[in-house]
Amino acid sequence: MTDLSFDHVSITYRPSSDRGDIPAVIDVSLDLPAGATLGIAGESGSGKSTLIMSVLRLLPKSAELTGEVRLGGKNISELSFGEIRAVRWAQASIVFQGALHSLNPVRPVDSQIIEALEHHAKDTWTTPEKRRARMLELLGEVDLDPQKAEAYPHELSGGQKQRVMIAMALACEPDIIIADEPTTALDVIVQNQILEGLARLVAERGISLLMISHDLAVLSAVCENLAIMRYGQLVEYGPSDRVCLQPAEDYTKQLAGAFPQIGDPGSRMNPRTLKPAEVRVNEPYEMTDEVVLEAKNLNVSFDTQNGTERAVRDVDLALRKAEILAVVGQSGSGKTTLARSLLGLQETAPGSQIEFLGRPLPTRAKGLRTFRRQVQMILQDPAGSLNPKRNVYEAVAEGLRVQRISDDEYGRVIAALEAAELTPAQDYLESIPQELSGGQRQRVVIAGALALNPGVLIADEPVASLDASVRGEILSLFLALKKNLAMSALIITHDLGLAWNIADTVAVMKAGEIVEYGSVDSVLADPQHPYTQELLAAVPRLGSQRLVGRA
Amino acid sequence: MSASSPTVVDTAKLVRDRRRAEVTKNWYLFRSDVSAMVGAGVLIVFILMAIFTPLIANESMLDVTQQLDVARYAPPSLEHPLGTDNLGRELWVRILWGSRVSILVGVAATLMSMVIGTIMGLSAGHFTGFFGAVVMRFIDFFLVLPSLLLAIVLSSVLERGVFTIVVAIGLTSWASTARIVRSQTLSVESRLYIERARILGAGHRHILFKHLLPAVMPLVLANTTLTVGTAIIAESTLAFLGLGDTNKESWGTILKNSMDISAATAGYWWYVLTPGIAILLVVLAFTMVGRALEAIINPALRSR
Repeated sequence: MTDLSFDHVSITYRPSSDRGDIPAVIDVSLDLPAGATLGIAGESGSGKSTLIMSVLRLLPKSAELTGEVRLGGKNISELSFGEIRAVRWAQASIVFQGALHSLNPVRPVDSQIIEALEHHAKDTWTTPEKRRARMLELLGEVDLDPQKAEAYPHELSGGQKQRVMIAMALACEPDIIIADEPTTALDVIVQNQILEGLARLVAERGISLLMISHDLAVLSAVCENLAIMRYGQLVEYGPSDRVCLQPAEDYTKQLAGAFPQIGDPGSRMNPRTLKPAEVRVNEPYEMTDEVVLEAKNLNVSFDTQNGTERAVRDVDLALRKAEILAVVGQSGSGKTTLARSLLGLQETAPGSQIEFLGRPLPTRAKGLRTFRRQVQMILQDPAGSLNPKRNVYEAVAEGLRVQRISDDEYGRVIAALEAAELTPAQDYLESIPQELSGGQRQRVVIAGALALNPGVLIADEPVASLDASVRGEILSLFLALKKNLAMSALIITHDLGLAWNIADTVAVMKAGEIVEYGSVDSVLADPQHPYTQELLAAVPRLGSQRLVGRA
Repeated sequence: MSASSPTVVDTAKLVRDRRRAEVTKNWYLFRSDVSAMVGAGVLIVFILMAIFTPLIANESMLDVTQQLDVARYAPPSLEHPLGTDNLGRELWVRILWGSRVSILVGVAATLMSMVIGTIMGLSAGHFTGFFGAVVMRFIDFFLVLPSLLLAIVLSSVLERGVFTIVVAIGLTSWASTARIVRSQTLSVESRLYIERARILGAGHRHILFKHLLPAVMPLVLANTTLTVGTAIIAESTLAFLGLGDTNKESWGTILKNSMDISAATAGYWWYVLTPGIAILLVVLAFTMVGRALEAIINPALRSR
């Protein structure tokens, strides 16, 4: 078996441009004895990916490493190219971040798994027939139907692709598996299946696992030990239940607090953040009975090659003034389609009724324009929602210009940016999107919607692509908007914790249907529908170590 | 309102500053490309010569009645730098006067083709459904039509003149531009910021002019410089076939005259080579500049 140890490792990027040296990892020492499981948590830019890439010497040429990375007692940087090739995959293998992009789209998955065997283990599986048999055996180990072997990546779901990646990593019976955010793009149920699979393999074969993630709860479910990284430095290290439940460092507390525990009254209507958005009014608005946006008998179908597919089925939904409604469900459950049809962006089936303030949704261009002044939507990806060529001022003013609101444009833009807590607003006006962080971009998008003074805000996964600390800030902003401006919000999410954090009501969607709908306190505390129960059970809990050492 | 307006002006200035910085950066990239600079140099020389032709060579030098005492078919020498033609006219004078028409037609026809191509491409890419499909089929129709044949038909049907040649080339060469613009439009159209604009209540006009047009403009610009070369060749071809304005010098006309007296077989090589090399130089220069612009717009084309 192989031990892995990092001994005072520092990694610095020396880019060819004049940006100067970028220290990515600073003096990190960690040990992973054979058969152990270690999780590294940290936000984007904390250097966690850089650290694990150094194990297989996969860093770009511009990276300079000091200290020692030892694998099985040998210093990685002293190995020859042939020796490091022998180590790759045979001793340690990587499950790369983003399985969706790590597979070759023009080759079926079986040949991609066999490729790893051909390159690294021709001695063990000597003939093509043996390699093929090994490939099928691997698919079995990751619970993938052998029929999927001939499938192309685009024919597989995200979770299935992730399983293929894990099968590839297992191919040559490595001693160490390094997993880089293996479940980040997946919804809770699939995430749970992948984690269970990984944990089972680790326990059965005594493989060591080094896993990195931004989600402490995920790591604590699978790993015995946890390391927290920030700005390239090791902040805290210890057994994962201790790190999660009794963190010593402030940063760890903040990270642990960012993911709410459903059922914990302390985080109900209270997303944890160091920078909560201000509630500026004396009497904050609360949910009322006045219905603003209502859908009755809503149906949406798509024509596909295999006939029509019903994406949304008989949905009845009402959004009241100053209510935050969370629509939760797995990917593919029709949540986004529902949101798009509420805005009139998606054609609905005959018989569907959508009413805004008691009147049906306008169909003509002019009526729709006025309607969209009152109902705004925030799209899933803040990075893509902003035109890269236009600055913050233009992006926020765009809605005003489109709606021909020309009086005091400057004042309205500043007010919207301040309402989105991007202060001082003047400093951001001329920035272009590339110069902003993910959280700032999301605020600009929110400000663009707020500039129109809408009564309803529909947000599609508003925090899915953001770091944990930013997540709390954005959620508290939604809560403040409701309290300050009596704004209603419909938030699409796969994250039940988000609903617990800020929502008044929750609707659980499965395969286009709403299976459970009611106030957050009753639905999440006492779920009736089996699907809701399944969703809740799949949410990883902090410090649970639920899957550690379980065969 | 009055209190905040100075700051608003400030924002506009910052936008200008950013654009200027971008131009500076692109100019730096352009300058570091040797072939682009050579191409630009050749172009500038040709354009300056075309503009100042009346000052360099008086128009009377083209009048055959005044060249009676000049040697015919004189090969290039110190006295006749590029040789003379069958009527005793200096070839360098004809090349200079011809450059005016050739370059003017090339540029004008290209502008026309770019305008049509951009409009057609944008609308085919933006409007989905029946209208978009009709526009697309229309583009396809012009794409498969042999454009030279169509141009020949057009210029023989319409009244003779430089303008006719411009129209004939412009009307027949826009289809490939339209296809390129359409594919770029389709890719921009799927970006989230277009959807966001739609959510903000934007109509077709806003999306077309504020988001799509700025996004395809750089591509159109690079394509323009590449197309000018093709248009100059097309003009020469039409003039060579005798469809141009016979009263005006153009490089194609010179080539046609040389063919009429079988210059190539009779050993008057300078008569054929001079206009040929002029066309080659200008087209090559436009292509080199166009390729460099294309590489600036699309960094993936830059060799590392």
